Formats: sequence, C-alpha cells, structure tokens
Amino acid sequence: MTLSSDDDFAAAEFALGTLEPAGRARLAARRLREPELDTAIRAWEARLAALSEATPPIEPPVDLLPAIEARIRAAAATSAPDGVATLHKRLARWRAAAIGATGIAAALAIGFVAREATRAGAPKEFVAILQKSADSPAFVASINLDSRELTVRPLAAPPQAGKSYELWIIEPKLGPPRSLGVIDAAGVTRGARLAAYDRSVVQDATYAVTVEPEGGSPDGKPSGPPVFVGKLVPVEP
Amino acid sequence: MSTAEETPKATGSAAAGDDLALLLGRVAARDAAAFAALYRATHAVLYGVVARILTRGDASGEALQEAYVRIWEKAGEFDPAKGSPLGWMATIARNRALDEVRRVRPASLEDMPEGFEPAAETVDPLAARSRSERLAALIACLGNLEADKREAVLLAYYHGLSREALARRFGAPTATIKTWLRRSLMQLRECLES
Repeated sequence: MTLSSDDDFAAAEFALGTLEPAGRARLAARRLREPELDTAIRAWEARLAALSEATPPIEPPVDLLPAIEARIRAAAATSAPDGVATLHKRLARWRAAAIGATGIAAALAIGFVAREATRAGAPKEFVAILQKSADSPAFVASINLDSRELTVRPLAAPPQAGKSYELWIIEPKLGPPRSLGVIDAAGVTRGARLAAYDRSVVQDATYAVTVEPEGGSPDGKPSGPPVFVGKLVPVEP
Repeated sequence: MSTAEETPKATGSAAAGDDLALLLGRVAARDAAAFAALYRATHAVLYGVVARILTRGDASGEALQEAYVRIWEKAGEFDPAKGSPLGWMATIARNRALDEVRRVRPASLEDMPEGFEPAAETVDPLAARSRSERLAALIACLGNLEADKREAVLLAYYHGLSREALARRFGAPTATIKTWLRRSLMQLRECLES
C-alpha cells in the first residue's frame, strides 16, 4: 500500500464519520483527485458496512416513496444519465446566448448544429461546445468517433487580425497538448488529425482553443493558455 | 414497522441479500416497480440509519429521499463481491446523513451544549435478529476491543458522533479519542483480514 498510514487513518475516520466538518470537507475534496485515498475510503466503508445490517429499523413518519419517485422523474427530465438531455440543455443555453450575441454567423452555425443534433445514428456523433463559460460559446467541435472526422465551426469567436485560432486535444495519456490544426476563416480545421488517436482518448479528452501567430503555433506547442475549452457530449441518436 | 416476515426481508441473511441484489439489478435497468419494492424492503432500516445520526425528523426525511435518489442513480455500481446490498445502500444513506450533520456551517451542531448528544443507548449489533457472515466477523472482532473503545466506535457508527462529541461523552481529550479510534480501527482491520 502506498498510502501513508496517516492518510489511511483519515480514510478510516472518514468512513466511520468521526472527522470534524472542516476535516471531512478537506478529505471529500482530496478523494476526488487522489484515487488511492478514494479507494481506501471505499474499502473502509465496506469493512464497516455490515454493522448497518444490525440497525434497528425505524418507520419514517410519512411515506416518502412518492416524493422520491417525483424527484427521480424530475431528475430524469432534466439530465439523462447518458448526457443527451444535458446536451440539449446546453444547446438551448448557448443557442439563446449566441442568438443574442452574434447574429447571422451564429445563426448559420446553429443551423449546422441543429442538423447534427437531429441526425440519426448510434452514439458516434459527439459535439464539444468550446467556451469560456456556459453562456459564452465560441466554437462547436463536431466529431464522428467512428471515422474520427472532425469539424469545427465558430459561433461567437471574434476573428483576430494577424492571429489564428488553433485547436488542441488534451488528455493525460497523451502528455502535452497535441495540435489538431488551425481553424481557418471558414471555420474548418485543416487536416483531420484525430485518426491517430484511440477512440477512448478522443471521447474523454478535453478540447481547447488557443490564440496563435497567424498560421498556427510555430513550435507545435500552445503559445498561451486556452481561451476556450470543452468536453465531448454525445449527440442524440 | 417492517417485520421479518415481509418479503424480501431487509436483513443480513444471505437469502434476503440475494433478493435485494436481484431488485438492485432490476433498478439498475430502470425498473420502477423494482425500485418501489426495494424501497418497501429497506426504507425502515435506512431511516433507522439516518435518523440516529440526524436527530431532526425533517433532516432525516430529506437525507432518506436523497439517499434513495442516489441508490436509483448508482444501482449499476453495486458490486456483490464487496458487500451486501443492504450494507451498500446503508453506506449511501449514512454518508448523506454524515454530510449533512458535518456540513460546514457558521453555527455547527458541534457547538450544541453538552447533554444535547443523542440518547445514551448505543445500538448493540449483538441484538441483530440475523447475522450475515460479514456482520458475524465484525462482531467477533469488535469483541476484541476494550469496552470503552468498542462503544466509541459504535457510537460513531450508529449515532454519527464526531471525535469532539466522543471526547465530551467519555470525558477525555480529543487527542485521546483520536488515539483510541486509530488503534481500534487498525485492530479491527487486522482482525477482519486475519
């Protein structure tokens, strides 16, 4: 075991529930980025879980099943587990934002995305909304996981004189960000370079756009921090 | 009050566990009827779990609802190799209750005056009507702990007492309680894995 004995004890106390509020909150945050700690907490929970079988039952004062079922229905209506409904919510949100913000170019792009979104097929069509925040979509990247076909369209990204937008794929397995090409004025990346990557890498990666000197990064590395980022979500079959 | 005669039974017995595991499998496949059956079979135990930690009834009801929504969402993640279905569900419910009772807030429950602790009666796992193999092993290992230390673990588990609350309860410094817990938990693991 590579976990320190102090962390292992912290995991045990988290599972037992004896940590004070600040300590519990700290550990809850740490387990999100420390898989070993998360595993240790789960292991301690499993060790102690049998005790709950001995819990004397108490009947709740009211039947809570209808309220629980209503919550589940409400959750299903707003976020399907496969992300489809989430995408629709996001599409609706940036559609509204884009229409308000940018006019014709955005409207054209929306037409494109709407077609993409309603196209029939297995969950192989994915889109990533590349944005600064939820209400400022800049590009939409559309990827077919089977063919690794990649299309990027600008929504509200302002053209920058003497500069180019460049698209990057970021995934821990790949190491440093890898360029997917420069996004030209027509909004299409030159050179579909996704074919070289595994399906799982393509699906899990973060996509980022940087501002580069005209023609793209001179040395194959991003010249600065990403200005827009996004993850892939499946398009409804 | 649920009785042991209802089917499927929310007890630790292997047969009841199998019934619950089947229901969980159907819930994972989004079977609403199975979910209702699962709720009927387990809600009183899960309410028992959260209500002993959250002494306020409204908070307990809320925690129970959140727990079952999570159970619906996560049913597919249940792994029978790692424990019983009831233990898995109770862990979800317990964590909801603990998150609530340990929520970082301006005036914490920890500030409540002494004497506002849960009822003195500790749940005695020995009183369980039926014991799964895992529960029997855990009870045997708990039996190896000194009485005070065993009670501290059980008060924490069943009533959600924090280190500080345990310190007040046992009239000992928090550091001492921490040492007790550390020794007890490590001893428990060693015993369970031997």
